[in-house]
Amino acid sequence: MKIGKHNLSRKADYLWEIPKTFHKNMRVPARILAKEAILDDIIGDRSLVQLVNVANLPGIQGASWVMPDVHEGYGFPIGGVAATIHPSGAISPGGIGYDINCGVRLLTSAIVLDEVKDKIEELSKEMYAQIPSGMGKGGFLMLSPKEMDEVLEQGAEWAIDQGYGELEDLSFMESNGRLADADASKVSEMAKRRGLDQLGTIGSGNHFVEVDYVEEIYEDEIAEAFNIKKGHLVILIHTGSRGLGHQIATDYIKIMMNAMEKYDIKVPDRELSCVPFDSLEGQNYYKAMCAAANYAWCNRQIITWEARKAWKNVFGDKQGTLDLMYDVAHNMAKIETHEINGIKQKVIVHRKGATRAFGPGFSELPKSYNDLGQPVIIPGSMGTSSYVLIGTSKSHELTFGSCCHGAGRRLSRTAAKKQVNAPVLKEQLKDRGIFVQAGSFKGIAEEAPLAYKDVNLVVDTVCASGIVKKVAKIKPVAVVKG
Amino acid sequence: MFEFHPHTADIRMRVEAPTLVKIYEAALLGMAEILKEGLCKDESNFDLESTIEIESKDNTCLLIDFLSEVLAHSYAEKAVYCRLEIQELQDNKLKVTLFGKHIDSLDEEIKAVTYHEALLIKNNNDQWETFIIFDI
Repeated sequence: MKIGKHNLSRKADYLWEIPKTFHKNMRVPARILAKEAILDDIIGDRSLVQLVNVANLPGIQGASWVMPDVHEGYGFPIGGVAATIHPSGAISPGGIGYDINCGVRLLTSAIVLDEVKDKIEELSKEMYAQIPSGMGKGGFLMLSPKEMDEVLEQGAEWAIDQGYGELEDLSFMESNGRLADADASKVSEMAKRRGLDQLGTIGSGNHFVEVDYVEEIYEDEIAEAFNIKKGHLVILIHTGSRGLGHQIATDYIKIMMNAMEKYDIKVPDRELSCVPFDSLEGQNYYKAMCAAANYAWCNRQIITWEARKAWKNVFGDKQGTLDLMYDVAHNMAKIETHEINGIKQKVIVHRKGATRAFGPGFSELPKSYNDLGQPVIIPGSMGTSSYVLIGTSKSHELTFGSCCHGAGRRLSRTAAKKQVNAPVLKEQLKDRGIFVQAGSFKGIAEEAPLAYKDVNLVVDTVCASGIVKKVAKIKPVAVVKG
Repeated sequence: MFEFHPHTADIRMRVEAPTLVKIYEAALLGMAEILKEGLCKDESNFDLESTIEIESKDNTCLLIDFLSEVLAHSYAEKAVYCRLEIQELQDNKLKVTLFGKHIDSLDEEIKAVTYHEALLIKNNNDQWETFIIFDI
C-alpha cells in the first residue's frame, strides 16, 4: 500500500483526511493534523500506511488521528491517537508503546539565567552526577519485591511517602501521579525484576533532563498561573517506565497475539495485536499498563528529587525551590468520555506519542489551572526550543482532547550519526551557551537537532488548529543524556 | 549474516542464513552488536550461561520471542549473550543454552524486539531471511 498526496483531501489549512473508502478494511477515516510544509516529511515514511491500519481497529470511533510530529513506528505510528468504544472496543499495547507512560514534567524556579550564567556548566555537571543516565544504568534505590508492588499500585504517592518530594507535587501531575486500576499481580516477575534498580534513572535514546530558560511568554495570565516567568530557569524531565514498562508491553503483545483468534480479530501487522478491553486478557493488560504508568510517575518524581538535590548543591538554600508546574504522559491509554456524533460516549483513548490536552473546567486539574486548561509540554531537540502550551475545548471536538508530543524525528539514527560530528556539535552548542553532558558521543549524534523536524512548525500547526494555545517558549542551557 | 538498514526512529536489521540454527546465531550476534559493539568478536571469557525454553505461535514469532527473552535476560543479568547451543528447535518450540559476558555499560538500550516487518521465509537463493525492527 502506498499513500501519496493525491490520496488526501484537504479539510482545512491544518487538516487532511484519507477517506474510509480508501481501503476496504477501514472502519473510520484517517486524519492528519499538519500544515502543508510538514506533510512532505510525513509522506516520506510509512506513517500514513500505519495510520490507515489503525483505522481498522475493532470499535474505533470518529477517526484514527496523527499529530504533526508523527513518524513511522512499528504497527502504530508515533504521534497517533485512536479512541475505541468502551467497554467492548479494542485495547492494543502497540497503541500505547513499549515505554508505557513515557512523559514530560516541567519544574519552575525563582532563578534568573542572567544572574547565574557562570554557574550553568557546573550545574550541568552536578545534574549529570546526581541523575543516573545511560544504557542499563541502575539508580541508588534497590526495591524489595514488596516495595515494587507498592510502587506499582501507589505511583508517585510512594515516592512522596518515602520523602522524595512534597505532598503538593501530586496535584500537579496527570491523574495525580497514580492510576487506581493498577494491579501488581498482573505484572510478570521478569518485568518486576527489570524495574528493581531503575527508579530515578532516565535511560538513553531520546530521554533527557534539561535546564532551560524562558525566552518568550505568549499568554501573560496563564504563564503567571503556571509560575513561568520570562528569563527564569526551568527544568524539563523526559523519561518513562524504563525496562519494567518495556517488558510489560512485550509480555502482553505476545499474549494478545495468541488470544486474537479467540475473538475473531485479524490485524494487518502483529504489532497492532489487540483484544476487547472487557476480555480477561484486555483487563489484565490494562491493569498492568496502569501499574507501569504508576512506576513511571514514581520514576519522574525521584528524578525530580535528584534534580532538586543538584540544584541545591550548586545554588545553595536561599535560591528558592524547584516547583512542579505539571507532569504529562504521552504513551498511555485512558478511559475518557468524549462527544462522538453528538452523543457522549465512554471511550478508550490510545495516545502513542501524543499528549492529553484537555480544555478549561476539567476537575482533575489543580485548582489554580481549572479555569484555564491543562498544560501541555512539548520538548524540542537539544539546541532548539521547547514549548509550554495549554489545551482548549476545541481539542475535545477535534482530537479526543489530544495534541502532539514533540518535534518528531525526520532522520534515522544511522543517518544522523553519518551527518553529525558529535564532538564538534558539543563544542558548537557550548559556544551558544548550551552545556551537554552525555554518556557517549553516539548519543549526542543520534539526538542532534538536525535529526528532528522543526518544532516551531509542529507547534504552529497545533495552535492553528485551535486545539492548544502557546503559553511560553523555552530554550536549553544544559542537557543531561545517556 | 546480519546487516543494518535505515529506519526513522529505530533499528532495522536483516538476517540471512542457510539454516534455521544459523539464523538464530546471526540474530543473536546482530542484537549483541547493537547492545555492545565488538564484544562478541572475542569468543573467549564467557562468564555466564543461561538456558531458556520458548513456545510461540509460529516460526517467525519464535525467533522474535527468542530475542525478546534474550534481551530480558541481558538486562536482568547485566550481560550480553554472544553464542548459543540449540537443544531443541521445532516450528514453534525452542530450547537453547546461551553464553555471554557480564558488562558494565551498553552502547545502546533496546526497548524491545518487535514483530513489525518480521517474516521468516526462504528467499529466492534458498536462504532463510527476515527483517527485525528493534525499538530504541
